Amino acid sequence: MKGFTGKLVGSLCPITDEECKKVHKAAVRVLEQGGMRCDDPRAAKMFEKVGCKVEDDGKLVKIPEKVIMDAFKKCPGSFTIFGRDAEGNNDIRIGDGEVHFATVTGRYLRDIRTGERRQATRADAVDGTLMADALENVHSLYKAVMWLYDEPKICNSQMLVGEMMKYTDKSMTWVYNTGAEHEVPDLIKLWQIAAGGEEALKKKPHVLGHVIANPPRVIDVNYTDWLMGFCDAGLPITVYSALMGGATGPATLAGMLVQVIAETLALVVQTQSYKPGHPLCFCSFNPAMDMRTGLWQFGNPEYGTVGAGISAMAKFYGVPCVGFTINDSCDTDEQAAYESALKNYTYALSGISLIWDIGGTAGFNYVDWAHMCIENEVAGFIGHYLKGIRIDEERLSVDEILKVGPLPGSYLREAHTRKWYREEFFIPKLSNRDFFESWERGHTDLLEKGKQQALKILDSHESPVPMDVQKQIDEYLNHVKKRDVGEADKPPKRKE
Amino acid sequence: MDQEYFDRLAQAVVDGEADAAVQLVNDGLGKGVDPIDAVERGLARGIMKVGEDFGAGEVFLPELIMAADVMKKATSILDEKIKASGTPRTTLGKIVIGTVKGDIHDIGKSVVAAVLQANGYDVEDIGIDVAVDGFIQSVKQNNADVLGMSTLLTLPLQVMGEVIAAMKEAGLRDRVKIIVGGCPVTQEFAEEIGADAVGFDAADAVKKVGKLLGRS
Repeated sequence: MKGFTGKLVGSLCPITDEECKKVHKAAVRVLEQGGMRCDDPRAAKMFEKVGCKVEDDGKLVKIPEKVIMDAFKKCPGSFTIFGRDAEGNNDIRIGDGEVHFATVTGRYLRDIRTGERRQATRADAVDGTLMADALENVHSLYKAVMWLYDEPKICNSQMLVGEMMKYTDKSMTWVYNTGAEHEVPDLIKLWQIAAGGEEALKKKPHVLGHVIANPPRVIDVNYTDWLMGFCDAGLPITVYSALMGGATGPATLAGMLVQVIAETLALVVQTQSYKPGHPLCFCSFNPAMDMRTGLWQFGNPEYGTVGAGISAMAKFYGVPCVGFTINDSCDTDEQAAYESALKNYTYALSGISLIWDIGGTAGFNYVDWAHMCIENEVAGFIGHYLKGIRIDEERLSVDEILKVGPLPGSYLREAHTRKWYREEFFIPKLSNRDFFESWERGHTDLLEKGKQQALKILDSHESPVPMDVQKQIDEYLNHVKKRDVGEADKPPKRKE
Repeated sequence: MDQEYFDRLAQAVVDGEADAAVQLVNDGLGKGVDPIDAVERGLARGIMKVGEDFGAGEVFLPELIMAADVMKKATSILDEKIKASGTPRTTLGKIVIGTVKGDIHDIGKSVVAAVLQANGYDVEDIGIDVAVDGFIQSVKQNNADVLGMSTLLTLPLQVMGEVIAAMKEAGLRDRVKIIVGGCPVTQEFAEEIGADAVGFDAADAVKKVGKLLGRS
């Protein structure tokens, strides 16, 4: 899907070019002097191969600046995450000045039909996927829900990804979930089935993989499994650190940035050593700790600011940047709205290519399909802001201004107006634009409008995925279920 | 020793000054201070003050955690003397707490430990990635009243059930209350594995531990 573009994309930068150099030098000092603890001997070998110093019996790697800069020379400056539609309408370009929005996830949700707040199930994963598939400003998906509480732990990820592959042809992203024995090969198999085979997936990867360092300064075993899995399957990846300021990272924004960049640089080196030229991007996922509860906080200004800083550093190194926003409110309320809007706008202005936020609240705990519809609209607002003011002869409108004025002339009947207003003005679907008195006499509030839109989608939207592909996925899930728990799989039925 | 000495001891905890607290403790012991007095009239007053201020939203986790660390360092010196004297120190209860095997998340568990300590409990934090045996050994060694287990992840949840089974096998289950907590832990899960309570956050954990020990 074509993302949002415009002259404001990349216009916000919380650090100057000179300061980017300082952050880089500081990160290099961390990697040259302190290095990364390496919990996986395979990872240590990858670092050693490209000239890093391995100490402490293979458990510590020190990474020189030259190795880092050599790794960046191999990284492409942009790449595509493909949709699975034949027309290519759902392809998204990462790193070409387009901003895309994607869903986030939650363990709980508001049941759109009953209003009950409850744990998510496999049927909800189907609903969440169809919702994201239908909404026009949702360009890609994260996990439709975080966890299927009605499925066994051992094959939870497989059932989730299987349902997602059955109900959308938009791209998705994956972050390691259970660590179960078959998680990596099974998910790759499911993505291959959805793409039409191993080579088809390599040619048109429809998944962005996540590889994360363990802060402070550890290269993790599980993520090394995933790094190899993603690279072998030909899936582009985003590499980052999920540090939490004041807990697993310093309590200054500059310090957070330095540690994030250091840990990210280590993963860039690791990836380019394992598979030179593999497409990768940076990612922002850097909450500060709430000093009352110890919880991560996503809604605060520092989250957006550090994210914009990571985007600036990605530009400095010539690679794209993606990022999570989400918010902290435990409900789909005013706080959820202002936190998301402010941060998404900040991210978009900073030029982050793919923003995961739509539909979720409470720091990855809660999703609500009504909220997803509202945030789909907010994404549209942001997309419109990003355009800025486009200046050209026809838009300058001098002929029109001379023709229509002075009063009693009006622009309403002019062909120029009819030609331009839809493109230049934003026309919301859900936001209230009523006459005050009409609204006073009776109205539907915003969440209810979101709910109506969601119910309409769930009632009418059909999966774009061909039946034979859905069948192949069901067969594979059945094989997984039989292998892992010894019983046949019973996928949720749509519209009995 | 005069009141000023105990006030300084309390203040060292409030200020998170471990070196100062240890120095004061050693000075006091050299001058014949009763180690039980040093804990109860000095250090414990400090940590309780931090606990109150934390509850009131006047200080935050960095102060609380640092105060708990000072408390741990200073009381370890005093506890040796107290043990040697044969007169036990009275606390609200002894709690062993850790993050279960398969999970290295430290913060949530450390916050709960600090808040419990700030509320007058004696807490032994046995760290992260703790295997079944580690919990059993520590419960025995510390003669714990309560065992607390934490995880942020889903797969390590099963370890909690294994620990409870091992507690039964070791004949410890009847005299030790068990509280569990962490992101994926629900009331239903706690009941399923036979834990006595779930702490949904640090304040809730303090409330539930109080209830389990019949103090509220």
